[in-house]
Amino acid sequence: MNRHLITGATTPLGRALIAELLAAPDTEAILAVGIEPPSRVDLPDDPRLTYTRANLARSRSIRKLLFGPAKDLKLTTIAHLAQHRSAAAQGREAYALNVESIRDLMPMAERHPTLRRFVYRSYAEVYAVRADKPQILAEDHPLNLAPRTPQWIRDRVEADLTVCTRMGMSPLSISVLRFAECLAPDMGSQLHDYLQSRVCFRPLGFDPMLNLTTVADMARALALALRSEAQGVFNIPAWDTLPLSRVIQLAGRRAVPVPGPLMTPLYAMRSRTLGTDFRYDLNAWRFHFSGVLDGSRARHVLGFDPTHPIDWATLAALLP
Amino acid sequence: MLKSLRQQLRSTLAGPFDRDYSELRFDDRGHGYDPFGAHRDWVEGAAAVIAPLYRWYFRVRSYGSEQIPASGPVIVASNHSGTLPFDGAMLYMDIVHHTNPPRLPRPIVDLFVPSLPVVGTTFSRLGVVAGSRGNVHRLLNRGELLLIFPEGTPGIGKPFSERYHLQTWREGHAELAIRHQAPVVPVAMIGPEEQMPQIAQIPVSLFGAPYLPIPLTLLPLPVRYHIHYGAPIPLHRDYRPEQADDPAIVHEAAQRIKDAVQCLLDHGLRQREGVFT
Repeated sequence: MNRHLITGATTPLGRALIAELLAAPDTEAILAVGIEPPSRVDLPDDPRLTYTRANLARSRSIRKLLFGPAKDLKLTTIAHLAQHRSAAAQGREAYALNVESIRDLMPMAERHPTLRRFVYRSYAEVYAVRADKPQILAEDHPLNLAPRTPQWIRDRVEADLTVCTRMGMSPLSISVLRFAECLAPDMGSQLHDYLQSRVCFRPLGFDPMLNLTTVADMARALALALRSEAQGVFNIPAWDTLPLSRVIQLAGRRAVPVPGPLMTPLYAMRSRTLGTDFRYDLNAWRFHFSGVLDGSRARHVLGFDPTHPIDWATLAALLP
Repeated sequence: MLKSLRQQLRSTLAGPFDRDYSELRFDDRGHGYDPFGAHRDWVEGAAAVIAPLYRWYFRVRSYGSEQIPASGPVIVASNHSGTLPFDGAMLYMDIVHHTNPPRLPRPIVDLFVPSLPVVGTTFSRLGVVAGSRGNVHRLLNRGELLLIFPEGTPGIGKPFSERYHLQTWREGHAELAIRHQAPVVPVAMIGPEEQMPQIAQIPVSLFGAPYLPIPLTLLPLPVRYHIHYGAPIPLHRDYRPEQADDPAIVHEAAQRIKDAVQCLLDHGLRQREGVFT
């Protein structure tokens, strides 16, 4: 039985996952959940798909969702994708969706009569990328728990750990997928926002390796995880592994190396004047040191290998 | 036009060391880079830059390079000295030149090296990797050739009076060899220990480097390098992988490697006619 609950269904990843699941004949029902009213949602027209609006930052909404439509539809799996994408989203409200929603969602899912599988979308940004750490990031790589870590990362680390803590204690079979950064619009990609400028400053003397994925690969990995019974943490690597300078070049931008200490004020000024989302303090470490996901566990257990490279020509054409 | 000029310059500089690098075994992830950042063109370029130093400045003589296995995981363990790591560059060049098809040596460096602007990035393009446990495990799992200097940073900064006396010999490489069942090729480098006598070390912490060396000479002296390769030490046959957890076994294996390197050093020094000849 493949009956799925997808949170964050109106994001590009949510839509791609729904399309991927609907393409599978064994999918019986999908309950898509988003914050937008149904009139503003563009999802495929399929009798197996239902859309419902819910604010997952509120515990009562989650209860209504799980013991209302999710119970009626006898859903069996949850793909939890809902997170604030913007680095500008801060404070209690962002925390409520990023972290508190999981604390509410998981125990309720455990009490649910038919749900048995929980797949959580996590991020490669949870890993600590440092000079003295391995450049290839395995699932047991140290997490980014540095004292002054910005909330955008701190929330993601806490959410990831919150899900991991329940593994083995919960009747649900739980998977955490840590995805490489998706270089696409509306995906909360810091790098995509960074590339919006025609001139991209990068730290002088450093050119780290990056691993960048596509929505298609992410959706496929999620679909594989939903169908699997495998528990644990899985890195979901990307097809494209290349240095930052090459990313800038392929995106048709001009790279200007500047001394590292100037990067923070330059991008803080850019953010304040243009209202952009890129924050250098979120990216400082990975703009110096390489961090490439090791996907061997996902390959062996989930059968996932990245197959969709980034379409650099299209990406460059869509940038301003 | 520019490409052909570059190619010509590369051929001229490299001379007999100009070879087909398309055969270089390489985990190309689609953009020409391996996950650690190495790139074939950079290796080729570096070979062209290092070749004149190798041929005319240090006039390297190599003995026993056939001892390097043509494939599979292998650890090359050598003495380390000379204030600046020219010994690493010459050994790197020697391995690239004497293996057929060429093997890309992966020099393992101290963890502060990636923090050095320009140097860290350039080194990574050439295949150099910081010596964190995760990095070296992955390289050996992929069957790569690791270049390890167990004397580490204290070795490169050893006083002139200590030349050709191996300093504190770290044991991690022996543990790795046993765990990954990789043979260890001992190497003795004669020459670099006299190239740049160090007169002082200023204990400053720049980008994580432990000190700033003050050498007697501004440039390394044109000593002649002699690189002696010993027969591979078959730790993979003598120990089982699970014995890598036994400190006594690891210590014993590391001592075997150290003794082999010291033996090659003594032999090479006896054979040598002079520092510059």
